Amino acid sequence: MTGLFDAGRDAARLIGRTAFAAGLAVAGVSALTGAAEAGGKFVFANSSPYDTLDPHAVYDVGRVASRLNLYDGLMRWVDNPPKLEPWLAESYEVSDDGTVYTFKLREATFHDGTPLEASDVVYSIERILALKKGAFSLYSDVIEPGSTKALDARTVQFNLTKPSAIFMATVPAIHVVNEDLVRANEVDGDWGGAWLSSNDAGSGSFELTRYDPAIGFQAKRFDDHFHGWDMNPNPFDEIEFRTVVEINSRVLGLLNGDFHGTDGYLPQDQVKRLVASDDVTVDEQESMRIFYSIIHNGREPFGDVNLRKAISYAFDYDGFNQEILSGSVARNPAPLPNNIWGAPDVEGYTYDLEKAKEYLAKVEGEIPTITIGALAGYGQTEQAAALMQNGLNKIGLETQIVAEPWSVVSGKMRDEQQMYDLLFLWRSTYYADPNNWVGEMYACDQVGARNNSWYCDPEVDELLMAARVETDRETRAEHYRKAATMVMEDAAGVFIYNTKWFGPFASSVKGVRFSPIGNGQEMRWAYFEE
Amino acid sequence: MRTLVLILNRLIWFVPTVLGLMVITFTISHVIPADPVAFFAGDNATPEQIAELRARYGFDQPMYVQLWDYLVGVLQGDFGVSLYTQRPIADDLFNRLPATLELTLVAVILSAIVGIPLGVISAVNRNSTTDHVLRIITVSGLAMASFWLAILFQLLFAMELRWTPLQGRIDGWGPDEITGFFLIDSALAGDWESFRSAASHLVLPTLTLAFPAMATIVRFTRAGVLDAINSNYVLYEQAMGFPRHVVIWKYVLRNALIGTVTQIGLIFGILIAGAVVVEAVFDWPGIGLYAVQSILNSDYNAIMGFTLITGVIFILVNLLVDVVHGMIDPRTQG
Repeated sequence: MTGLFDAGRDAARLIGRTAFAAGLAVAGVSALTGAAEAGGKFVFANSSPYDTLDPHAVYDVGRVASRLNLYDGLMRWVDNPPKLEPWLAESYEVSDDGTVYTFKLREATFHDGTPLEASDVVYSIERILALKKGAFSLYSDVIEPGSTKALDARTVQFNLTKPSAIFMATVPAIHVVNEDLVRANEVDGDWGGAWLSSNDAGSGSFELTRYDPAIGFQAKRFDDHFHGWDMNPNPFDEIEFRTVVEINSRVLGLLNGDFHGTDGYLPQDQVKRLVASDDVTVDEQESMRIFYSIIHNGREPFGDVNLRKAISYAFDYDGFNQEILSGSVARNPAPLPNNIWGAPDVEGYTYDLEKAKEYLAKVEGEIPTITIGALAGYGQTEQAAALMQNGLNKIGLETQIVAEPWSVVSGKMRDEQQMYDLLFLWRSTYYADPNNWVGEMYACDQVGARNNSWYCDPEVDELLMAARVETDRETRAEHYRKAATMVMEDAAGVFIYNTKWFGPFASSVKGVRFSPIGNGQEMRWAYFEE
Repeated sequence: MRTLVLILNRLIWFVPTVLGLMVITFTISHVIPADPVAFFAGDNATPEQIAELRARYGFDQPMYVQLWDYLVGVLQGDFGVSLYTQRPIADDLFNRLPATLELTLVAVILSAIVGIPLGVISAVNRNSTTDHVLRIITVSGLAMASFWLAILFQLLFAMELRWTPLQGRIDGWGPDEITGFFLIDSALAGDWESFRSAASHLVLPTLTLAFPAMATIVRFTRAGVLDAINSNYVLYEQAMGFPRHVVIWKYVLRNALIGTVTQIGLIFGILIAGAVVVEAVFDWPGIGLYAVQSILNSDYNAIMGFTLITGVIFILVNLLVDVVHGMIDPRTQG
């Protein structure tokens, strides 16, 4: 057997050499990303993949960084509570009947040096209307293709088909692209879609330098940006937004110094981990992203307000907000975020099983097994569904939980037959106007589209429709206050919390300005502290 | 001649195999109750908008028409366009494929280089302490979730010891693309800084991926060697006075490797498909992550493209394994 042991020792020596070589390779590892320098390069780890850079193809919060940093709009949302500020627009006028919006443009240039003109704005809105993607639905009801005019090189006029009090709030989503550049890259009438998915035709604060859909994008500061850089003593030379899908990898990368920022909606255990680090600061702000459960009002017996009230009293709000989420959210009892104008000051429902039973006793007929929908992979929705199930079971109702991916849920929630009885999800800020929430979620003309509750109450609808055309802010606020209160009293949904944003950034990063629309990802304001 | 017949035989089966794969994947991806158009149109999309987009992309057609159109397109080299990126699927996939292949190849090579000798050591020291220790290691390798192992490696080697980068494929954006394999491209360009960076970034994901693969190879090699050691020809060679290390490394190992080589072919396919977890944890821009995202988004063309490419790679690798198998198996020669 000696020979066999010799053979074994030979192999051991071979492995030893291999391990040694591997050790050398490891020892030769280059230094990690160095400490941030003044000016410098800012690296952000983002959870959503930047699979397209076309500003008119997407309209989600997850990929907002490419739109805000590479492109400009006529107006822009800044800060929290969000303020609508003129951006490319120097001034604007609204006709008395609320249908004609005329914007005077500042002098601005695109990244390729060509001047930004009114015709580029016209081309941009026409492109949105033609592609029918991204922010299209914000304008499809009020702007006809071909109706927007460039009165001169610096004056653009939007002619709405009907008065719209929310139009101004949606104007920031019209990101202006360089018409000549995009037209030059059109293929088979695609409005430059294939080209613009990987290229930059903007005038934004940063200019694209590299893009890889598998990695993210990198951009350098655009020194000729119309806004100038006086407000920032030491802006970043470069920004890089990388896709890092794993939460743990984003957090470890931030702690390790590989990244200087990541998204502000991390689970609380990860937030606590970051707060404990001296190298990271976490900025806490109440956002405008409400968490609620849709109730399918159009399906019997959920049309009965007594059943809906029983359901609303059967959810343990404090248990969810304070225990499961460690108090990291704010109780939000109505279909409007607490911090938007027009939000009602109401207490809402509490966890009260006795009241739930009282209302349940008033429901006539048999109640079938209730299907509670949740988003697979989004733990909070599944936890909320389980808590709801627990409450409903305690009052004697049978339930089942169905957790499915968003691609499945987004289809089902537009179909009256396939829609779940209850469905937990968030409503994000697309534009900071109450219409974004109660105005879309419970309007009769949005049933099956943005109203997935099939709730349609004539009184509520009258208020919502009036608020859409009314121009006086106070009157609108009053309409929304009343409508939101009525929806809450009607228990049309189960309204649970308003999200808080816990924006984690390297301690050296200063000047971040959070807005619920931009999620603190417009980097022109930020800088490294010297 | 025999090898040539084998290759021809495999190639004849290639077409129906790939076709079957495509039909199955197409059917499965289309029957799940997801609505990709409603999804990518966004939260605010109207029913009219969704209907128009559905018609634009042909999703309003019967499924057999969609399948036929897709197959005709593939035959013409057109894999379609991604619903989300609006780029050709081929561009998206071939942009990411080298990253996954580089990771997988290095992992397979590493697991073979380490696993085969360990398998031999384990066999020749059967039931010794060494054998038991190796068994514990290999069983652990097979039992440990790669997700957990990856995070453990990150915490130890990147965060605590700071020997390796935490994640990513390279510092910065990598060398100018020639093959897409960073090790090769940086070496060809003589850019040794990039080479070192790429190599260091490979360490942790490769170890994570190679560990369970190595465990499999150790177990198969051990079994093969034990089987061969007990053969009459080994007894004969020992009786003829051949040195033991020659008997083990030249005759026993050659026969023992037959099963191992087959296993390596299977492992390669499994690693490509399983690289997704490692890619997610280490922020590795490969096709695994792309595939998962495509499935979640019900991006049909992307799912089909991924399946087609991994299927073809798997078939080709196993063809290669068959050829190697024929070369090292004395029974298939002469």
